[in-house]
Amino acid sequence: MIIVIGAGPAGLAAAEAASRNGSEVALIDSSSRLGGQYWRHRSKVTGYRSNRADEIFAKVSAAQSITHISEANIWSAEREGNLIRVNYLQGGIESSLTAEKVIIATGAYDRTLPFPGWDTPGSMTPGAAQSLLKGQGVLVGKRIIVAGTGPFLLPVATGLAEAGAEIVALIDANSPLRWSLSPLALLTNITKFSELVYYVRLMRKFRIRPHFGRAVTTFANGVATISAVNSGFHIKSGKSQAMRADVVAVGWGFVPDLSLGGILGCAQRVDSDGTVIFEVDENQLSSQPQIWIAGEATGIGGADLSLIEGEIAGLAASGQKIRHALLTERVRKQRFANALKRSYPVRDGWREWITSNTTICRCEEVKSQEIKDSVSELGAEDSRTSKLFTRAGMGLCQGRMCSRNVSEIVSGITQCAVTDGERIAASNRPIAAPISLGQLSDGKNSR
Amino acid sequence: MKNPDAIVIGAGIVGASSALSLTNAGLKVLVIDRGAVSSGTTGAGEGNILVSDKDPGPELTLALHSRNLWFEMQEDVGDSFELEAKGGVVVARRDDGPLMKLATEQSHHGVTIEKCNETRLHELEPYLHPDISSGVFYPQDAQCQPMLAAAHVIRTVVQRGGEFISQAKVTRIIVEDCAVVGIETTRGTFRVPIIVNATGTWAGELAELAGSYLPIAPRKGFILVTEPTKKYIFHKVYDSDYVANVASSDADLQTSTVVEGTRSGTILIGASRERVGFDGAMSYEILRTLAAQATSLFPVLRDVQLLRAYRGFRPYAPDHLPVIGQDAKVKGLWHSAGHEGAGIGLAPGSAALITDAILGRDSFMDGAAFSPARFATVNS
Amino acid sequence: MTQTITFTFNGNPIHCEEGQSIAAALINSDQRELRKTRFGDEPRSIFCGIGICFDCVVVVNGVANQRSCLIEAHDGMKVESAQ
Ligand SMILES: Cc1cc2nc3c(=O)[nH]c(=O)nc-3n(C[C@H](O)[C@H](O)[C@H](O)COP(=O)(O)OP(=O)(O)OC[C@H]3O[C@@H](n4cnc5c(N)ncnc54)[C@H](O)[C@@H]3O)c2cc1C
Ligand SMILES: Cc1cc2nc3c(=O)[nH]c(=O)nc-3n(C[C@H](O)[C@H](O)[C@H](O)COP(=O)(O)OP(=O)(O)OC[C@H]3O[C@@H](n4cnc5c(N)ncnc54)[C@H](O)[C@@H]3O)c2cc1C
Ligand code: FES
Repeated sequence: MIIVIGAGPAGLAAAEAASRNGSEVALIDSSSRLGGQYWRHRSKVTGYRSNRADEIFAKVSAAQSITHISEANIWSAEREGNLIRVNYLQGGIESSLTAEKVIIATGAYDRTLPFPGWDTPGSMTPGAAQSLLKGQGVLVGKRIIVAGTGPFLLPVATGLAEAGAEIVALIDANSPLRWSLSPLALLTNITKFSELVYYVRLMRKFRIRPHFGRAVTTFANGVATISAVNSGFHIKSGKSQAMRADVVAVGWGFVPDLSLGGILGCAQRVDSDGTVIFEVDENQLSSQPQIWIAGEATGIGGADLSLIEGEIAGLAASGQKIRHALLTERVRKQRFANALKRSYPVRDGWREWITSNTTICRCEEVKSQEIKDSVSELGAEDSRTSKLFTRAGMGLCQGRMCSRNVSEIVSGITQCAVTDGERIAASNRPIAAPISLGQLSDGKNSR
Repeated sequence: MKNPDAIVIGAGIVGASSALSLTNAGLKVLVIDRGAVSSGTTGAGEGNILVSDKDPGPELTLALHSRNLWFEMQEDVGDSFELEAKGGVVVARRDDGPLMKLATEQSHHGVTIEKCNETRLHELEPYLHPDISSGVFYPQDAQCQPMLAAAHVIRTVVQRGGEFISQAKVTRIIVEDCAVVGIETTRGTFRVPIIVNATGTWAGELAELAGSYLPIAPRKGFILVTEPTKKYIFHKVYDSDYVANVASSDADLQTSTVVEGTRSGTILIGASRERVGFDGAMSYEILRTLAAQATSLFPVLRDVQLLRAYRGFRPYAPDHLPVIGQDAKVKGLWHSAGHEGAGIGLAPGSAALITDAILGRDSFMDGAAFSPARFATVNS
Repeated sequence: MTQTITFTFNGNPIHCEEGQSIAAALINSDQRELRKTRFGDEPRSIFCGIGICFDCVVVVNGVANQRSCLIEAHDGMKVESAQ
């Protein structure tokens, strides 16, 4: 049997591909619905070429050998001889499943940067605004600013507008001219133009004006400050403007969730943009035997790349032949993913947006000044020691939101670059999802 | 720093306390660590300052004095590391005979005890399992935040004229005529006649660099950390089996629960003891055992969620006693290491002992039981 | 046809569609503030929307720190900002 963890584009493609030769597949996801972060909808899927989702949903649902285990939160995984056991919580009860092979496709979440007011209600990630709309049918606000960087801001802004919100502004800190750095990626991914045209048309229709080289640098009492920033994200003086909005949805790309692969010992590396990702070979095999990884967890590249990686992983894990065309297709998509990284970098000028009183760790309410003091007064030299002194990253989210930012703030003071070792250590957690002590101890008695 | 009087290797709680007491005695001290302050086992410690878990003997004498020195250190350095005389409650689940006997003996050696009947026990810990009916209250047991303590203590040393160099790994100890003359590190060479080896679990490696020998090995421990909760636990509460485990030489896994609340609202549950070298692998079976023991002490914890688990390697000597004193072979090389699961509690006491020994003054106790010479016959 | 259900938030009845998350139901009822923080007593709402950040935690039927963006509302559920 093959366990596929995550039912987003990568996991769906992996399950579908593996089932082609009749391999038994258990597709496990924490949600009640298939689709992952992008395709998880209550109603009709909207967005560019969204019928792809329908096709794969239909195939996965029709496949006899795929069992979908929904609303199952995997909190840990362990090796047992030649088998791999995944432990999950479903309906408050712990269960587990063992298999010879595992495909990890656990996806990513929005990357965020702190700014004064980012912890007040009304400030959220674009992913939050979108998942509330598509997953729940709820519009988060009436006047919304969508900001940050990256192409993902387009579907969010247009989706919210279609649902009736007024998009006050769509703001990207980077300039679209950065695409000129990647001519080859553009030429080989010509189809991406039609996607762009699709969204530009929608933006015209809803009168959404894009602004480039700007960022939301404060938010309070329904007013956001929009500052002009240079290519290093430093604020250009005298060029800021106030805008009224009840929601600011700000995101800076994505961060993969590495917990489960990390627990199983899969090797990781730091990508060119500082993101920690898994190392995989040409068949998506991780450094650990019998464990394949696909989708955002091997590098942020969007749904298209996730689909191909998932398909390759599914074929490899089930021992099927992988067509050469699929591999070249992946190269092409990866080229585009690299162009995305080049076009939408996150620069460290953001460290000047925060004030001494800005919350950095939302869970433990640690302010920027406390982090600075932990370095200058107490001798912290990385996010780990700063965490031991300030509790930043020790709260409920276990540093998923702040640890990368804490590293960057500490490094800004010590003037030492964040090491790969620190980035990798800060991206790993031994408990992938919370489990109660009662559930944990009952698991002992049941074995 | 040119020509320090002494170099302390290791910026954990043991090294920090030693540096402070040497500085307060008038020496110019340089502290060196291969990482940052608190980056070793101190960064994994729970911060219990316990007298309750020690049998009468030299370690208890050290622990009692050390506990008082913690409060003196707080006065010296400032109230900055969450020191609190919270008190410990040790419960007996089955036969309370051994626990009561130990408590009586401890009380003859300076430990304040209060034997508790069912009513008193549940007054101290209202959420304790109703079936548990006997225990002992130890008001002297205390708690601190060890990483903050080490950092604030090092900071005080620096304010008083000492120096701290981080990210400097000691790669060589220069010995001439059986005496220390200096060290080489990845950030420079220093001449010095006195070295304090406070490298905890790695102290054996340091001894080897000087051509000597110390049998210090790692003893792995896991700790569970829960989400912040309402205040359910008022003292450090543990099972009397814990005492037997601490003293055990068995390599196999032992677990016995110590449950305690922290200021931040999280509950810490520790700790397992295992001798498996530096194997850092996570064991979910151990987490389950710890959780089962904690919830059987406090059923209310069943609904509390586990946030994280972490592990550390306690520095452990074969006879479970710390190693404090001058090296048996190399003059000027002083060890203060191997404090196993009690290094936080014993740190200031050990610092006082080693400072007195270095300066050749009388100390509060006879430290012969801790002498490194006890291992010399084995391997020389 | 989706069914309408009712749960309480800090004692007040909230109506929503069956299958909606607690957070979605509350935001749809103009109840954006979900809780106050432990130390600073600051208001918090949803932030990541997908179960990662834990900003949206509430007490559900007496169990603390439950992510309201993930948990579906059920008829008769008792949801509170704090214990
Ligand atoms: C909120 C959000 C909205 C997005 N919207 C868009 C969009 O509109 N357009 C676009 O191009 N890209 C969007 N993205 C980017 C998106 O990450 C990718 O395009 C694509 O979804 C990646 O697919 P994937 O299969 O790698 O991961 P995902 O789609 O993220 O799927 C991973 C799945 O694994 C599950 N999972 C993770 N950990 C566990 C666990 N421990 N136990 C059980 N299940 C687990 C998750 O619940 C999820 O269903 C969005 C991302 C986010 C976070
Ligand atoms: C899970 C767990 C729970 C614990 N709970 C408690 C408790 O509640 N109460 C208690 O009293 N004790 C507890 N302990 C034990 C306590 O943490 C240790 O005894 C104590 O921290 C040891 O302190 P140290 O300063 O000797 O060592 P460390 O803190 O390890 O410091 C040694 C330092 O030496 C440095 N070093 C090593 N080699 C070199 C080199 N070659 N060059 C330069 N620097 C070097 C290291 O980087 C390190 O910073 C616990 C331990 C564990 C693992
Ligand atoms: S909003 Fe982030 S966990 Fe619910």
